[in-house]
Amino acid sequence: MGADAQTRNRAAGEHLVLLRSLARELERAIEAIAHNNLAELEESIATQQDLSVRLTELAHNRREAAHATTDHNLDGDLRGEIQTAAGELQKLNLRYSLLIEHSSRSAAQMAALFRSFRGQFQEASGARENHTTLSCQV
Amino acid sequence: MGGLTTSLFMGVQALEASEAALNATSNNIANANTPGYTREVAQFSENQESLTGGTVIGGGVSLDSIQSVRDELLNLQIQQQTSLQGSADTQSSILQQLQTNFSNTGSDIGSALSAFSSSLADLSANPSSSAVQQSVLSAGQNLANSFNNTASGLTTAQAGADSQVTQTVAQINSITAQIAQLNAQLSPSVMSQQNGGTIEDQRDQLVQQLSQLVGVSISQSSDGEVITTANGSPLVMGSQSFQLQTTTGSDGFQQVLDSNGNNITSAIQGGQLGGAIQMRDQTIPGFMNSLDTLASQFATAFNAAQAQGFDSNGNPGQAFFSVPTGTAGAAAGIQVALTSGSQIAVSSDGTVGSNGNVANLSAALTNALPSGQSASGAYGELVYDVGNTASNAGAQSSAVGQNLLQLTNQQSSVSGVSIDEETTNLIRYQTAYEAAARIVSTIQALSTVTLDMGSSQSY
Repeated sequence: MGADAQTRNRAAGEHLVLLRSLARELERAIEAIAHNNLAELEESIATQQDLSVRLTELAHNRREAAHATTDHNLDGDLRGEIQTAAGELQKLNLRYSLLIEHSSRSAAQMAALFRSFRGQFQEASGARENHTTLSCQV
Repeated sequence: MGGLTTSLFMGVQALEASEAALNATSNNIANANTPGYTREVAQFSENQESLTGGTVIGGGVSLDSIQSVRDELLNLQIQQQTSLQGSADTQSSILQQLQTNFSNTGSDIGSALSAFSSSLADLSANPSSSAVQQSVLSAGQNLANSFNNTASGLTTAQAGADSQVTQTVAQINSITAQIAQLNAQLSPSVMSQQNGGTIEDQRDQLVQQLSQLVGVSISQSSDGEVITTANGSPLVMGSQSFQLQTTTGSDGFQQVLDSNGNNITSAIQGGQLGGAIQMRDQTIPGFMNSLDTLASQFATAFNAAQAQGFDSNGNPGQAFFSVPTGTAGAAAGIQVALTSGSQIAVSSDGTVGSNGNVANLSAALTNALPSGQSASGAYGELVYDVGNTASNAGAQSSAVGQNLLQLTNQQSSVSGVSIDEETTNLIRYQTAYEAAARIVSTIQALSTVTLDMGSSQSY
């Protein structure tokens, strides 16, 4: 295997790792949303952003490299793994987008309701806390 | 217990409670015309008294804050999401069953088209061979059978969805009757001396089950809780339930009637019932129409090619396939009309040994049909359509399930946070969702690049 082919396979391997990492992050974010773990969700989204940027850059670099060479051979197994990982990522992305859509709607409704209370009512702390008020003696 | 400090403390609490109650009332007035606003009620309840040194000391009264409003909103959202999930689950389940009819099993339409095409290629090389002619006839018969079987699969799935309508309506009626009974037990006159918490919990669970079956709208009236379908047909009003009915429609499928006998089938939304009706009346008929169109147009094109040639006996080519007039029912009714391989119009001029018309017959499989695609292309699109619809329904079901889990977790958690904190969190959620939505778009855009990169042309 020539040096060019090794470089291509290494880049493809990196691509595969990024795809799988992004898929894991989407799963992590879905779990975080389901369990109301806001900090985990925010952390995952930051990682997703980082991975997306790296994937986009990698795609850009690969396109430029492809124009510069006529030799495009890539290890067949690796190509298959990339295709599979990309397909899995798209399926997961569809589920993620639908979940975000539903959750956004819920959050917007809740926020709208809470806004209507702001400045008018101070909620007592505790879900079931009662205020003892007046006593009398018999 | 009765000390000055305690009394002062209680006095301050009393003032706070009164202020909260007044604010609650003014808030209700301010939001009287706000769509979606849930009325806030300041609930006072008497605390248990205590006996100290022979003296009975009252425990004062208690006030529940607007936490209940949030619970109600969550309940409402959970009901909505439960309805969505019921619908998505039902559709996903039916679509998974449907997909088996379009799988590449060797006896599917795609495989049969391919085998038919191969048999015609053999015929071109051996136009006089009666064995080859017979194999073309058999391949045509297999293709017609594949159309018949696929149509039958769609019809079976449709019938399954139809039977689900009847079963689900029966379940709905059972649950609404139980809710009405519980409402009767919760009426103020009966409840004046009792704690209704357990009964309310039971009712909430039943409403949840009802939401799984059909999309509902819930409101309060002077008669108590009112539950209607999405289009406003009453299901429960206080202690009275209104039974839905089913009747066989002109299309042979079960129609849903409200208690006044109005047909509300097309207005039913959400829940298993909405999902089953959507599949039965919209999705499956859409697939069936595509399949019928393909069968009809392909048979017409192939028969036209037959008509251009002559069979082995020198007779003008007869129709190879028979299909019902019109598009509807074409896939279920397509059959091979020829009875012998010698009737295949192989020759273009009637001379024995000529294969001049086989090219026309083969072209009927590869040329674009009036739909704009070749037979295999149109079938491929239908398979994609079915798969994509199933995939979307599965993803929808999964996403709604996660959202439901989120809401249920939120509902069951007893949080001590203030509305301000809660609002701040919601804003953070909204920001996070916006960022996530941008990433979703990026990943979607990356799919084309990624698939391209996976090919041998990019590395």
